[in-house]
Amino acid sequence: MTATAVFSRELRFFLKQPFAIWLIIVATGLSTFSVWSGLTEVDRQSATIERLLVADAKDRAAAIEKESDFGGAAYYSFHLTFDPPSALSFAALGERDVFPWKHRIRMLALEGQIYESDAANAELAQSGQFDFAFFLSVLTPLFLIILLHDQRASEKVAGRHDLLVATAGYGQNLWRSRTIVRVSLLGVGLFLPFLVGALMSGVDTQLIALVFLVVFAQILFWTFLCLWASARPFSGPAIASGLLAFWVLTTFVMPAASDAIVERAIPAPEGGDIILAQREKVNDAWDLRKEATMEPFVAQHPEWADDAKIERPFEWKWYYAFQQVGDQAVAAMSNDRRVAVSRRNEMAGWFAFLSPSALTQRSLSHLANTDVGSALTYQHRVRNFHAELRSFYYPLLFKNAAYRAEAFESLPEYDPAMGSDR
Amino acid sequence: MSVIRNIAIDEWRYWRRSRIAISVLLTGLVLLVGSAFLTAIQMIDASHEREHLQTEAENAFLNQPERHPHRMVHYGHYAFRTPPPLSVIDPGIDAYTGNSIFLEGHRQNSAMFADRQASAGIAMFGALSPALLLQILAPLLLILMGYSAITREREARTLDQMIAQGVTSVQIMLGKGLALGGVTALLVLPLCIASVLAASEGEAVSLIAFFISGYALYLLTWCAAIVLSSTIMRTAGGSLGALLAVWVIVAMLMPRVSSTVATNIVDAPGKIETDFAVIEAVSKIGDGHNAGDPAFTALRANLLQQYNVDSVEELPINFRGVVAGAAEAELTDTLNQFAEERMRVESKQVRIARYFGWLSPVLSIREFSMKLAGVDLETHHRFLRETEKLRFDFVQSLNKAHAEKMTYLDDAGRSGDPEAEKRTRISTENWKVLEAFSFEPFPATDRVEASFNPLAKIMLWLIAILLLCRTIGRRAL
Repeated sequence: MTATAVFSRELRFFLKQPFAIWLIIVATGLSTFSVWSGLTEVDRQSATIERLLVADAKDRAAAIEKESDFGGAAYYSFHLTFDPPSALSFAALGERDVFPWKHRIRMLALEGQIYESDAANAELAQSGQFDFAFFLSVLTPLFLIILLHDQRASEKVAGRHDLLVATAGYGQNLWRSRTIVRVSLLGVGLFLPFLVGALMSGVDTQLIALVFLVVFAQILFWTFLCLWASARPFSGPAIASGLLAFWVLTTFVMPAASDAIVERAIPAPEGGDIILAQREKVNDAWDLRKEATMEPFVAQHPEWADDAKIERPFEWKWYYAFQQVGDQAVAAMSNDRRVAVSRRNEMAGWFAFLSPSALTQRSLSHLANTDVGSALTYQHRVRNFHAELRSFYYPLLFKNAAYRAEAFESLPEYDPAMGSDR
Repeated sequence: MSVIRNIAIDEWRYWRRSRIAISVLLTGLVLLVGSAFLTAIQMIDASHEREHLQTEAENAFLNQPERHPHRMVHYGHYAFRTPPPLSVIDPGIDAYTGNSIFLEGHRQNSAMFADRQASAGIAMFGALSPALLLQILAPLLLILMGYSAITREREARTLDQMIAQGVTSVQIMLGKGLALGGVTALLVLPLCIASVLAASEGEAVSLIAFFISGYALYLLTWCAAIVLSSTIMRTAGGSLGALLAVWVIVAMLMPRVSSTVATNIVDAPGKIETDFAVIEAVSKIGDGHNAGDPAFTALRANLLQQYNVDSVEELPINFRGVVAGAAEAELTDTLNQFAEERMRVESKQVRIARYFGWLSPVLSIREFSMKLAGVDLETHHRFLRETEKLRFDFVQSLNKAHAEKMTYLDDAGRSGDPEAEKRTRISTENWKVLEAFSFEPFPATDRVEASFNPLAKIMLWLIAILLLCRTIGRRAL
């Protein structure tokens, strides 16, 4: 038999197997559902940001309008910051249900604001969302195991094994074409829905190609594993059990164990400690001499040394200075925490090589900018934006500028793509 | 009876000779014991840490120097959610919700510092708690051990022999079920040991017994399903395939599908978004810092009439403190309405997700477990409500001191007159209004009552499968 003949025989054989067809239909259906679920979630996030932007601008304008000094305007005006979902994020919703992707901040001490989280429903976040990344990393291996584990064993049971091998020319050829037919049909079934979703949300061709590579690698790995296992001289169920045990250990146990190891290996300062320390510092300022606030402030901001004299019991510049000093007091702790989270993420990246599923999941959420790294980048942008706010207000406050509404025309605006190469 | 026992003993003997069965069982037990140990350490640590932080926060408040009471309203207080005793087995949503909350005047903050936000984020199913292992992995382990219980006898033609010897089909199924029941007992054993810890931390023993029975019932449901599958399927491969398909659907698929469906059916606007509506509603209430706000004209008139005086200066109490208290009460009323609405929406989402428990016993046992342990969404809501009460109580007590412990003239003139300012600083005795806070989950009877519903779903599954065994299973043998 020629190679094409073998292929077409396999294709016809396959089409006569209701079980295998159903399996591929189910896989396609689940992939479609995962893509749909991702797309609606991203739509919801984008729509939320649109609504928030409008409400935020209106609220800020109204707040500023009521004020007659810059200090009051800074106190009452909030600024929306957000991390818009990337085009690809429908495929990997990632950590966005755990890490905040929107904050409304103002000129007060940032450490008191940045840990607020506008998180999703905790009990639903615990289950997680059904997205393409989950389907590919966790469920696809199961489909492959079911599809491939007993190719030889089942033919032996059906009594066709020797006949098939004899007519296919030489043995390897047959199993190869049979595997290629099954796996490529499954691959098409699960990749097509993704492709449609990606084209609908306008994902770059390059990114689509990268996702294709991830899908390809994941399928290839499990295919070879299944083939290797199914060539062992065991019964079909025994092979399936072995493969399943491997799946459980790499998908379930390894990642959770890595998480536990990473968390013990890299300690992070308790969030509660940061915020308690910050609050003490800010509150103490009211009882301290004004210089106790202004000296550490000027140490960081020497440009205001000449304007740092506080003469009245309450001055806005002193008020914002002690807010900043509160931030300064915990800057090291807060930085340690971020470094720790980032290092944990990095170490987890190494552990992911022990688990094909975790590696797939992480690769996709990395490509989609929905991983821990992206959450940290967003936090960094919020910090930068807060710093911009300070550099906008400080000259007005320290130079005792006369109040004029036009000054707000140059009020910094949050740019979600600030400092990014996207 | 002895026939059933012999069949079970035979099955155990088979497992002892099978390398696969032994390694599956050992791996499962090692994982369970290991996770019970690690989860216990972690939750007990968290519990001590949060208790410690709570005491520290209370001491910090009590040790504040003499000052104006309103400064203490803004100084605020912290509350921490200590995990309940059974969280050593099921930590539930502890890692997904903030476990501390800052309480201050005029605001309701959200809970901060969910542990997950500092985690490496690699675990796809959360931490490996004993609860998770028993809910998801234990059924798989039972499947791998039992899928061929009867098909094996059929393929080896020993089944016919047994029937020829007069063993009934019910006896065969019960015998195989008993063998799997023995495995279940082994799996539940680590749970019992961990429970001793929960009991020593003060959980009711009867509740713990109920908790463990629930898990046993859940695993027995799986045992029945496994016996059924291996009875009606002709081959071991078919039986394994069918059981795995069921497991993938109910344990892997359903939990995520349920949460996806719930988020799509009920839209829950985030806190930032509802805050706009809050700001709008609150702007109609007067500013409690400004006793001259026209919103308080009626209050002023009432007070003047009540004390029969002509001006606020003549009142025996400090009008500014009265205003602060009245504004806080009204504000809190509004804030609570919004908070209750948010909790209502969240509960609605969760309720929809829990309907899927009819389709998946995994979801039912999870609900049962979290409800009994006191680590579900409703318990977190209870935490939010209790901390809000704590917040309102200490703020209002401070506002009362503000009204009663100083004169209006001193209070109004304090920013210009250092002597008046000194008189508005009240003694630290007044900080004792802060109540000690220690979060407790719902009372045991309430938790047991709430867990009947998910338990009923599991029971229904068990009964349905047993009925199928009686009808289809008997015919198939």
